[in-house]
Amino acid sequence: MSQGHKRFHINEQELLCKNGCGFYGNPAWQGFCSKCWREEYQKAKNAQLQIDEQNKMMKQKTPVGAEGKAPSFSKFEEKKKRESDKRTHTVKSLFRKSSSKDIAAEQVAKREAMKRLSSESQQVGEGFADFLRNLSKPAALDVSKHIRALIEKIQQNPDVTVDEHSEIIQDFYQSMGDRLQTHPVYKGLTHTTSDKLMDYMEKYIMTRLYRAVFCSMWSDDEEQDLIIQKRIRSLHWVSEQNLEASISVNEPSVRALVDSAITDIIEMDSKRAPQDKLASVVRCSNHIFEALKASQNNEPASADDFLPALIYIVLQANPPRLQSNIKYITRFSNPSRLMSGEAGYYFTNLCCVVAFIENLNAESLNMTPEEFEGYMSGKLVPRDSKEGHICEGLRLMYQNLANLSELRQRHEKVMAEAMQLQQEIVEFKENFKKEIQSVLTKNPWTIKPRKTKVDLDAESPATDMLPPPLIPQIVGEPMVVQHDQSNANSTDMTTEPHVTVTDTAVEE
Amino acid sequence: MSGSRVDMKIVLLGKEFGGKTSLVERFLHDRFHGEAPYQATIGAAFGAKRIEVVGKSLILGIWDTAGSERYEAMSRIYYRGAKAAIVCYDMTDSESFARVCFWVKELRNNEENCKIYLCGTKKDLVDENKNNRKVDYHMVTDYADEIRAKVFETSAKTGENIRNLFLKIAEDYTMDPVNKQQQEKDTLNLQEPTKKKRCC
Repeated sequence: MSQGHKRFHINEQELLCKNGCGFYGNPAWQGFCSKCWREEYQKAKNAQLQIDEQNKMMKQKTPVGAEGKAPSFSKFEEKKKRESDKRTHTVKSLFRKSSSKDIAAEQVAKREAMKRLSSESQQVGEGFADFLRNLSKPAALDVSKHIRALIEKIQQNPDVTVDEHSEIIQDFYQSMGDRLQTHPVYKGLTHTTSDKLMDYMEKYIMTRLYRAVFCSMWSDDEEQDLIIQKRIRSLHWVSEQNLEASISVNEPSVRALVDSAITDIIEMDSKRAPQDKLASVVRCSNHIFEALKASQNNEPASADDFLPALIYIVLQANPPRLQSNIKYITRFSNPSRLMSGEAGYYFTNLCCVVAFIENLNAESLNMTPEEFEGYMSGKLVPRDSKEGHICEGLRLMYQNLANLSELRQRHEKVMAEAMQLQQEIVEFKENFKKEIQSVLTKNPWTIKPRKTKVDLDAESPATDMLPPPLIPQIVGEPMVVQHDQSNANSTDMTTEPHVTVTDTAVEE
Repeated sequence: MSGSRVDMKIVLLGKEFGGKTSLVERFLHDRFHGEAPYQATIGAAFGAKRIEVVGKSLILGIWDTAGSERYEAMSRIYYRGAKAAIVCYDMTDSESFARVCFWVKELRNNEENCKIYLCGTKKDLVDENKNNRKVDYHMVTDYADEIRAKVFETSAKTGENIRNLFLKIAEDYTMDPVNKQQQEKDTLNLQEPTKKKRCC
């Protein structure tokens, strides 16, 4: 033997268990001996299980509780402990409080059903559990017992038609409604609490059963969805004017409201519970009313305005799975909701819209059959189809382009005017010069020498030419002069020629 | 009132511009279009109002409908389950009364349990000038007798007769043996559990 080993270059060390326990190992056990391998394997397996469990916890509600009843394999013990530490507040945590054995047993049965719970169901379940906590314990237990029975009933019979499902659920609403009124467990519930309880039950049940009953394979809902979708698509050209809807779609504020209405009606498909779907319809309707109000000088809109507007919104939105959603609400909603309340009113309007769209013809749009056919076949294209059917981004882009081109025009105008102004300035300068020139040629000017200051005392040739200054001569007696002034005057009169001479000299 | 809980559904039928919306507006908020600045009501298509009658409190849900002929085919969807229908006609428009006959026939054929109330609107215009009246009162009452309906001539502008109309509707509803039975059944049911409890 040892010779053989040598031949294959395997020494004894390699044959022994990797763990070094002294036993021989086996390649099939990754080099461990049988005992060490089992230990190692178990560790790995546990680790794997744990990871799986964590993943599950992220996505789903893990089945918890039922400690005593679960098959207690030793290898699961450790895992279970860990699991219960991570226990979250779920519908189940409510039941944990009660030690009732049959409830624990039911939980085991429910495990299967709980396995594939979606996050929506979880959320609703938590809300429901919170609500139930406020009720008395027996009432909460009674409610959960009935709900569980119903869900199991539906889930175990996936092959019955959707109408039978609807009947089962409607019966449930009916019997639970009666039970809330009559059963002693529910005594002391106020009207509002029992209404709320019914709401929660409906929400929880329908969220849980949504996948099973919505657009089920046993109905032709899907085909009808496609038919209406195609129909709406072929009616894309219908404008708000065709419908005589008094919405001014092109006004930005109204446009925003119309867009939110469209979003709301599309959102209906993403909701699960009938009341949530109805809430979407109500929200959509409220936005339409606001849009109508904004388009009509703040007058509240009437049904005469509302219905065409809703038709317009549905045509614009083309909500996904419209027929399925309507049928789902009709089948599974609490009937009291649909018969009278506000949600019922708007839902009825929506049904009316669908009926209108299905039977839409030339007459209902006030146009000739030829025109209608033309539009339907795409031969005719409405003038404003581009405006009405583009998405918000494109619409904004077009608007911006229009604004830009207008800006450009204005800019060009400003530039042109500036150029003209410049031109005018130049011309003005030229004209000014010309005018000055012409004035100059008409009135030639000469430069006069500068005037010099006349120095009266200065010597000048002119003064040389003057006769010598007159010497005053005494004409009469000096005594007379000294004596009488009047006489002097009279003597002046006599010297008149002399005075004139001096005067002329001064003038010169 | 948001109207999530409504005891009685009342549907309004009538020609376009026949005054249906004003009627609702007057009843719900006690005001008229032209007057007083509007508060924050967004629409007058649906409304709910609590009303006290014969010692009982009822919530009326009022459904306005689109009166245009193009939606005539769909009106059936609206009045399904309605306990009462107010069929409006404009007293100053003889054509609007011709349409009343259409709705009455529709209602009689499709919704037997729905009580019919004929409602002439715009009475204020008639009071102003007798020549405005285009629909004869006696002709209407004769027709109403024939179809076992009641007639109210109202004005949303002055509020005349509108409260009476709705009070009458609520009263008829509570007095109706069919509805009474329903209510009695409820009260009976409420008593049963207490008995049971004692037995246990």
